[in-house]
Amino acid sequence: MSKRVRWRVVLIVLVVAGMITGYIAMGYANARREWIGPGKPSLSEALRKGVKLGLDLRGGIHLVLQVNTADAVKAERDDAAEQLQTQAREQGLTLGAVEFPNERAFSVAVTPTTDEKKLEETVKRFLPDWTVSTAGGKWIFTLKDLARRQMEDNSVSQAVETIRNRIDEFGVAEPLIARQGSDRILVQLPGIDDPKRVKDLIKSTAFLELKLVDSGPSADRNALLSTHGGQLPPNLELVEMAATAGQREQTWYLVQKSAVITGRDLKNARPTQRQLGGNAVSFFLNAAGAEKFAKATGENVGKQLAIILDHRVKSAPTINERIHDQGEISGSFTPEEANDLALVLRAGALPAGLTYLEERTVGPSLGLDSIRKGVSASVAGALFVFVAMTVYYRLSGLNAVLALILNAVMLLGAMALFNATLTLPGIAGFILTIGMAVDSNVLIFERIREELRGGRAPKTAIENGFSKAFATIIDTHLTVIISAIFLFQFGTGPVKGFAVTLILGLLISIFTAVFVSHTIFELTYGRRQHIDALSI
Amino acid sequence: MELFRQTNIDFLRYKWIAIGASWLMIALGLFAIFVQKGLKFGIDFAGGTQIAVRFTQRPDLDHLRKVLDAANLGDTGIQRYEDPSKNEVLIRVQQQKREGRDVSHDVQDALRSGLAPPGAAPSKLDLNREGRDSLGGRLTAADPDHVSGRPDVVPADYYGKIAERIIAYRSAAGIFRSTADFDRLPDVSATVKSWLKANCFAGPFVLLSAENVGPQVGADLRKKALLAVVWSIGGMLAYIAIRFRSFPFGVGAVVALIHDTLITVGLLALMGREFNLVVVAALLTLVGYSVNDTVVVYDRVRENQRTPKKEALESVINRSINQTLSRTVLTSGATMLVCVALFFLGGEVLNTFALALIIGIIVGTYSSIYVAAAIVVIWKDLRTRRKLQVVPAIRPAPPPPPAAARKKKSGRR
Repeated sequence: MSKRVRWRVVLIVLVVAGMITGYIAMGYANARREWIGPGKPSLSEALRKGVKLGLDLRGGIHLVLQVNTADAVKAERDDAAEQLQTQAREQGLTLGAVEFPNERAFSVAVTPTTDEKKLEETVKRFLPDWTVSTAGGKWIFTLKDLARRQMEDNSVSQAVETIRNRIDEFGVAEPLIARQGSDRILVQLPGIDDPKRVKDLIKSTAFLELKLVDSGPSADRNALLSTHGGQLPPNLELVEMAATAGQREQTWYLVQKSAVITGRDLKNARPTQRQLGGNAVSFFLNAAGAEKFAKATGENVGKQLAIILDHRVKSAPTINERIHDQGEISGSFTPEEANDLALVLRAGALPAGLTYLEERTVGPSLGLDSIRKGVSASVAGALFVFVAMTVYYRLSGLNAVLALILNAVMLLGAMALFNATLTLPGIAGFILTIGMAVDSNVLIFERIREELRGGRAPKTAIENGFSKAFATIIDTHLTVIISAIFLFQFGTGPVKGFAVTLILGLLISIFTAVFVSHTIFELTYGRRQHIDALSI
Repeated sequence: MELFRQTNIDFLRYKWIAIGASWLMIALGLFAIFVQKGLKFGIDFAGGTQIAVRFTQRPDLDHLRKVLDAANLGDTGIQRYEDPSKNEVLIRVQQQKREGRDVSHDVQDALRSGLAPPGAAPSKLDLNREGRDSLGGRLTAADPDHVSGRPDVVPADYYGKIAERIIAYRSAAGIFRSTADFDRLPDVSATVKSWLKANCFAGPFVLLSAENVGPQVGADLRKKALLAVVWSIGGMLAYIAIRFRSFPFGVGAVVALIHDTLITVGLLALMGREFNLVVVAALLTLVGYSVNDTVVVYDRVRENQRTPKKEALESVINRSINQTLSRTVLTSGATMLVCVALFFLGGEVLNTFALALIIGIIVGTYSSIYVAAAIVVIWKDLRTRRKLQVVPAIRPAPPPPPAAARKKKSGRR
């Protein structure tokens, strides 16, 4: 064995060994992450976990959500209007009616007694994000574009955070929660087998408000308003009771518009079992919330307090005594519902509503099926190719087969090392790589045969065959890699997995076809002084 | 073994017939797409909901249709899926007008109540539906193994593992056909089994997959798929242009791959196959493959042109095709073997993918000879002919023939 060949062999052994070690190491790392219980994961466990499986193979749920950023802008508008009124009250400014012409603007009527100079100062100080224009005795406040964009952006990142908190609390191994574009969020949860529950968990805005009840409950809204002369006073609002199972008619409460406390004042929440049976959620307030709550409950003993979740009254217990820092939400909850409500309250409210744009669920049994089919197709495809190659090229065909096997082993290793995800189309990419890797060997062998026909000595034929086929091999691989790159760029999910597998496979195929096969030829024929014929 | 030993077939003699045949195929495909049935978009592109379920017994499709009609979901399509013995059904629901409706959930609810098996009661758990968490929770609450007093056991973990085993068994077996199947659960105590039989039932189906694609995402995916195809064709054109520094070669390769894509899409439409993301992946692979095949022939042409011997382009190309013929057939054959394995063994999702590639490989192999190579020949023919006709009209004296030959040579690079 010449020195050059020896180095080549060492390099090949090192690369292959590196890939195998990498695969096993990644397998252990992945297996350990999911390992529950004592001891360490076994080698067979590690071998199974080397390459991350996509959702279509391991089962799970893929969601694309849209954040309704307009909600956040609207909330900001309401806040600003409220703040202006509060400030005006404190400074003794008289203001007329507040109106909301659209989602990002509000108007305030000025009365002849309004001190407009003072109002202007107040606006400058407290509402810097708003542009003001006057028309027909009204001040119209519009949210500035920059501020609105920032608000929308914040609401999306805040939604991502909130969803992440909720998923973490729920406990999912390896979740993916990522922002996509300006207002979309991608959520991928492997191994989830109860999609409905997770979907509800993510989507619930979990906006909690505790408001003092003026009157109610009643099925008749007008009856509630009759004590106020049939008109809805500006400081009150009507809120519907949350529907319970089997109940048809709506019931209403008339409550204070401003909340005593909201979900932001919560410190913790947990599901509890009530003594009378049934499930409830206990919540605990932080210091600031507790202070507000104690004051409000102390002043209003005997009155009702409405617990409002997502703009629906969940329950309206009577305040028996001054309560300091905890309370309970009761309703007709199942244990899971109570658990999930506590979870979303802990994780925080969403700044805006969400819409599901895309949803893909794969059950675990389909994933197992796909793996089984993919593997049998791969094995069958590879065997076909191996047989064809050995029949057609005899011993040289075996050389190609060896290179192809190394190709497959190295592709698995590379996928593990790059942390690439194997999907069902990825399996197709895997075996397609085998088909295409054969191409390189065929190109080389045909060249060698041609050289032999041209009367070259076997050794020269091998050398010429490899060097002449080289340019073509690079060309053919690059063309497919280029189209795979665009597929990666524009593809989604499983299709992206296909592109990754194909790209890695083709890169490795250049190495195995050009370098490994060549070395095997040299190992077989290099030592002999004279070769009569090649087995090709 | 050798299939072709120094063949000398005059491929390009039949180029006009071949071009006619190509146009015929393209016309057939376009007819299928635009006149006959139209391109059948899968839900990736069309939007809507698609649910695959496996039933405990052979489903009666008419009954299923009635059950779904009652749920008021608009247009629904029901078809058998995979092997009929597996009792699998694919349900498709069109895009809903009303937003925010969880269609896949509604469909499952409708099926569940419409096909409730004997022994089903609202208080009982459907083991074909339940997930690990909720089953574990119920088991922990019921505690059939009486572990709650034991100091060495955390009941939630204990029953969580049992629930996981039950779900894993269901996944491997495919479905619980009846409560009798609960007896077969491995590593589950007899008390748990009897609790399962008393408190659970085997629901009518297991959910295999549910997909819900909104109209916005559908439009997005359509746009992305089109962009991917256009960009990769553009990429190929750029690659060929740089690699061969020749316009007719580039045009030949790109026309060949547009030809392949059109015929493949057309034939898929003709066969009523669905057009989805995976098919687009197959088309892009095909684009790569088609150019790959063309490049091998072109490479040879370029190499053969380097020899000092003067030879007509058509004969150089013919010789190159013959020289690469056995490689072309072998590689196509090997890739085809792989695709055939995928076609028969890969399952429903990969079936259309494999079919697209099988068509694409055949068409791609043919087009590298009769489209890519033929275009180069026709192009150069036209240019030479035009020169020969135009040049004498400008100059009174006929030009010496070597000038034309020299020009032709410089145009090759």
